[in-house]
Amino acid sequence: MASASSLKAISSLCLSNPFKSSPSPSQTQRLLGLNFSHSHSFPPSKRSTQPTKVQELNVYEINERDRGSPAYLRLSKKEVNSLGDLVPFSNKIYSGDLEKRLGITSGLCVLIQNVPEKKGDRYEAIYSFYFGEYGHISVQGAYLTCEDTYLAVTGGSGIFEGVYGQVKLQQIVFPFKLFYTFYLKGIADLPAELTGKPVAPSPSVEPSPAAKATEAHATVKNFTN
Amino acid sequence: MACSSSPRPTKVQEFHVYEINERDRSSPAYLSLSQKPAHSLGDLVPFTNKIYTGDLQKRLGITAGLCILIESKPEKKGDRYEAMYSFYFGDYGHISVQGPYLTYEDTSLAVTGGSGIFEGVYGHVKLHQIVFPFKILYTFHLKGIEDLPQELTAVKLVEPSPSVEPSPAAKACEPQATVSNFTN
Repeated sequence: MASASSLKAISSLCLSNPFKSSPSPSQTQRLLGLNFSHSHSFPPSKRSTQPTKVQELNVYEINERDRGSPAYLRLSKKEVNSLGDLVPFSNKIYSGDLEKRLGITSGLCVLIQNVPEKKGDRYEAIYSFYFGEYGHISVQGAYLTCEDTYLAVTGGSGIFEGVYGQVKLQQIVFPFKLFYTFYLKGIADLPAELTGKPVAPSPSVEPSPAAKATEAHATVKNFTN
Repeated sequence: MACSSSPRPTKVQEFHVYEINERDRSSPAYLSLSQKPAHSLGDLVPFTNKIYTGDLQKRLGITAGLCILIESKPEKKGDRYEAMYSFYFGDYGHISVQGPYLTYEDTSLAVTGGSGIFEGVYGHVKLHQIVFPFKILYTFHLKGIEDLPQELTAVKLVEPSPSVEPSPAAKACEPQATVSNFTN
């Protein structure tokens, strides 16, 4: 069990609220039903001098618990989530309208610190979204289990080659359902198949049965699996 | 990525790099953290290999990074990894990449950035396996940077085949067969 003094040492890294005076050992909840939605305003882009078109892309990431994911590697050897823990993961992704299976996410979350007063954790995440024959988008940034974040779009391949921008991550049901809004620049117009009207995020959202069953008309071409 | 009032240069520059595991850098380090007998999500593979020019005449430096095992694909007799690593080119700087590594087929990774002459770079790189996991040929498609030096680009590509080897001089890192302060 991490001692209070070692938690105070970690708190010096905390960028948000300071720890209260004697944090109790926390138990990070991993149950269904947690629904942290915290809207997050973002400062205007510094690229305003460069007139570049922004395209929005919505993606649902859903952990259907059939990919052995996540793999929580408790390398810190502490009972509380601590720096040293690593979490490789891979989930399925669907179009924003939940009508088509796109592919998967895959990558790594590096546990940075446990945030007991928010009942959550800070991770540094490095991962990619795979869109079948369309290509992939790579991202890097903060994943906070208790609030929305923005990650950097670091690059891509296929139709996303040369992409830059950012992506907003909204947790719907930790850690099983997430909703992403990509703000993409530097690429040609996205295909209509990817830009349908998104289903509004809520805990009960589910992919269409056809998409979940990966029926031919409900997937992108050679969807990643 | 550069933030300037002029648009990003979009001229594409191509060059080739051979990555060769000469089994003298203790690489890869396969960490079976999933604690399962077969390759499973949770396994991590840090690695570092040597890199040479496309004509295999000059030692450039090294790759360094991490492969994350995502899933084993028994029907393809191989695995899917998510890879994040960099290519180091001595005094020229480095290029960082991120994307898929499939042991059974070619892939395209994102070029996420770089330093030195590669500062501000973007684009993608094609990974072609020659001999898994010892020999790989990369074709970089780079944008956003000044013209690359001839030392990297004006080389006649040695066509990939299982028997390709760096020239003896490059392998021995003789001064005329390396870039300046090649990374090691």
